[in-house]
Amino acid sequence: MFLKVDALSKRFGGLVAVSAVSLHIEEGEIVGILGPNGSGKTTLLNLLAGLLAPSSGAILWQGRDISGTKPDLIAALGIVKTFQNPQLFAELSVLEHVMIAGHLALKRLLGFARSKTIFAPKPARQELEARASRVLRLCRLSQEAHRPAAELSYGEEKMLGVAMAMMCEPKLLLLDEPASGLGQAEIGNLGAVLRDLREHGTTLCIIDHKVAFLAEFAHRLIALQNGSKIADGTAQEVLGNPSVITAYLGRQHAGA
Amino acid sequence: MTQVILGQVLNGIIVGTLYGIIALGVTLTFGITGIVNFALGQFMMIGAYAAWHLTDVAHLPYPLSVALAVLIAGLAGFLSDRALFQFTRNNLVNGLLVSIGLISVIESAALLLYTATPKNMDFVLSGSWTLGAITISRMKVVTFAVLLAVIALTWLALANTWLGRATRAYAQNPEAAMLMGVKTEMLQVGVSVYSCALAGIGGALYAGIYSLEPSMGALFILKGVEAAILAGVGNLAGALVGGIILGITESIGALFLPTAFRDAYGLVFLVAILLFRPSGLFGGQK
Amino acid sequence: MSAAWLLLPLYLLPLVSHSEVLLTILIFTYILGILAIGFNIVFGYAGQLTMFHGAAFGIGGYATFLMLSKFGISFWLAMLPMFAVILLLSMMVGWVCFKFRLREFYFAVVTLAFAELIRLVVLNWNDVTNGTLGLLVLDKPTIWWPGRGVVKIDGTVPWYLLTLTALCAVTIVSQLIVRSWIGRNFAAIRLNEELAQTLGINTFRYKMLAFTLSNLFAALAGALFGFYSNYIEPAQLSITQSLDAIAMVLLGGMGSILGPVVGAFLLTGLPHVIEFSAELRAATYGAILILVILLMPRGVVGLFLRWRHVS
Repeated sequence: MFLKVDALSKRFGGLVAVSAVSLHIEEGEIVGILGPNGSGKTTLLNLLAGLLAPSSGAILWQGRDISGTKPDLIAALGIVKTFQNPQLFAELSVLEHVMIAGHLALKRLLGFARSKTIFAPKPARQELEARASRVLRLCRLSQEAHRPAAELSYGEEKMLGVAMAMMCEPKLLLLDEPASGLGQAEIGNLGAVLRDLREHGTTLCIIDHKVAFLAEFAHRLIALQNGSKIADGTAQEVLGNPSVITAYLGRQHAGA
Repeated sequence: MTQVILGQVLNGIIVGTLYGIIALGVTLTFGITGIVNFALGQFMMIGAYAAWHLTDVAHLPYPLSVALAVLIAGLAGFLSDRALFQFTRNNLVNGLLVSIGLISVIESAALLLYTATPKNMDFVLSGSWTLGAITISRMKVVTFAVLLAVIALTWLALANTWLGRATRAYAQNPEAAMLMGVKTEMLQVGVSVYSCALAGIGGALYAGIYSLEPSMGALFILKGVEAAILAGVGNLAGALVGGIILGITESIGALFLPTAFRDAYGLVFLVAILLFRPSGLFGGQK
Repeated sequence: MSAAWLLLPLYLLPLVSHSEVLLTILIFTYILGILAIGFNIVFGYAGQLTMFHGAAFGIGGYATFLMLSKFGISFWLAMLPMFAVILLLSMMVGWVCFKFRLREFYFAVVTLAFAELIRLVVLNWNDVTNGTLGLLVLDKPTIWWPGRGVVKIDGTVPWYLLTLTALCAVTIVSQLIVRSWIGRNFAAIRLNEELAQTLGINTFRYKMLAFTLSNLFAALAGALFGFYSNYIEPAQLSITQSLDAIAMVLLGGMGSILGPVVGAFLLTGLPHVIEFSAELRAATYGAILILVILLMPRGVVGLFLRWRHVS
């Protein structure tokens, strides 16, 4: 099993953000996570990415227990997360962001030789730059490559987050509300990027409020409420589930 | 032997109270203005020299000198807030560096005005009290009582007055406090000035017991910061306790281990706390 | 690199100028510039405010001299065990700080605490360090010069050339690091540590690297300083030493190659231009620090660059 989550819980003092959630994700799947605000979706993703340590329960990745592992190690193992509110390196340009994100790729290209070199040898560097161009092109950011990332629009910042995640060559990509705040055209673009990722064999786990968007892409949906899982199945099953409808009263046909 | 230890403990408590009042200033400043004002030690020195000057040079009665010294320290605090610290709100690094620059300026001024020769105040309150075999000077007891009263009053005010509650609210959630009508800029200036006044009273009382040198500020701010971190930065009640613990640790330590390393004990204790209980002994805000 | 153009005239300066004062100021500028460049790496690039480099500076002088006098080896050889000591100390202190994930302020406080502890040890270990009295350094570094054999570095001009060369070497090394992917990771850590971690960067390792580098450079500067001024004392280990370096970097500007050196030059040269009593000097330093933070956050070089519309 690719990713298995076993009765995972997270408490912040008296507040239980995630309560005994169990789920699994198979390789190549696209899984959508939905739930009202405060249902624990982002906390769950933060737990998976290592930004938070679980209060109890376990996270198993390709058979290996990674609960409580540090984020950089988790990224090296192949799980990468984007941020709901775009996280940037203020001052730096778009291209510099993507090149920093190429750290893992560079490590893999150079292997052990990396520790001996300050400057990466030319072929490795060119490979990295080629990948950066490709990723920027896919995310429609090629024009902005040399602009400071702080000058980007909100939608572009989110795409930059996706671009950086892609540079890490993730096996499992966790996307935290990638479509929120995006306009129609940008959502279409995001869809193209997600399709490309799927073709390259990246497994995706997406949180979003735009249920229609999720339903279009996801093989499977998981619904959370108040930190617990209330449904898990195909889009049809989950969206027809009475408790899900109750949780989302009035939002069955949530659009843009 | 026990009497010696007890005597040292008492001394440690008195010194610790001085540390504590600085620590209170550090913690208040950090909680409300988001910076650590390393120059608080200098405001203590201002209070000390002001008290000395007013008593020994201007021949005013000591209690009056103390009161005036506090006002002077508070005024100095107000000036530095308006000129400098209002521009470094919530910017820890800048505030730190600016306060360090301020230290040099104030200390140099003191050196120029009073030179490095230690100054001693003629006996303010002579005599001592004896408890069993332990003798302790009256002035020290009075100092302890006054400082304790000031700290207790501060704590009570924070708990019970509107201003105090507003301060605590702001410390917990600046935006919410602002939305509820708390005049945040005035609050920050007020806390900034009050911390300097606290340091000032500490200094004014210190002048009655120990000898003064312009370099005293550096020593006390370090101890004050240590005490604040020890208790947990942001924990107001803990600041005094933290100071006393530090004072006692140093006094006892000096008995059994080389005096030269007196300052080291606090440092080692501090590092240990930061590593194993970063929120301090009593927990503070992060 | 426009800085490279300055090299030739600087090397030729002793031929043109016979001003002892100017050359001496420049010698101290170069030495303290090395210290400042080191601090720039750990603070300007990696964003970690440390107060340890003053201690490293002092240890550089003490350790090199002690190795030299106890074992009778040359200056250069003596620096090797000294670097080893600094490496060890950096790793210990750095491990303590970074493993426990001390943030900003607490990191500064803990490095300060360790630096003060070291100073107290040096101050009181009278048998070895001679305590407050300090150590008189009469030995000189020697180099092999074609045609003359082994030559002692003694006198203003030889020291000028030596320190200029040392500064160049340090500048080259620091630029190589800062412009590589290592430097990119430093910037990432400074700008958004959490994001850097999610991208797979082991921030602990890079913070250790930056911290260790800054201390190694500081120690080199300290060794040169001690041997040039013929005197090593505990004051060289103090917080004031650390603060001086910080003031230089801030004054000169953190974002450029030359910034730290310009800052070192200004602060070293200032007392010569204006006759100051010791008290006024400290006050001026303080005032400069305040002014720089509030008005010139990018330092002198930053002002200059902006004025010339270079980004």
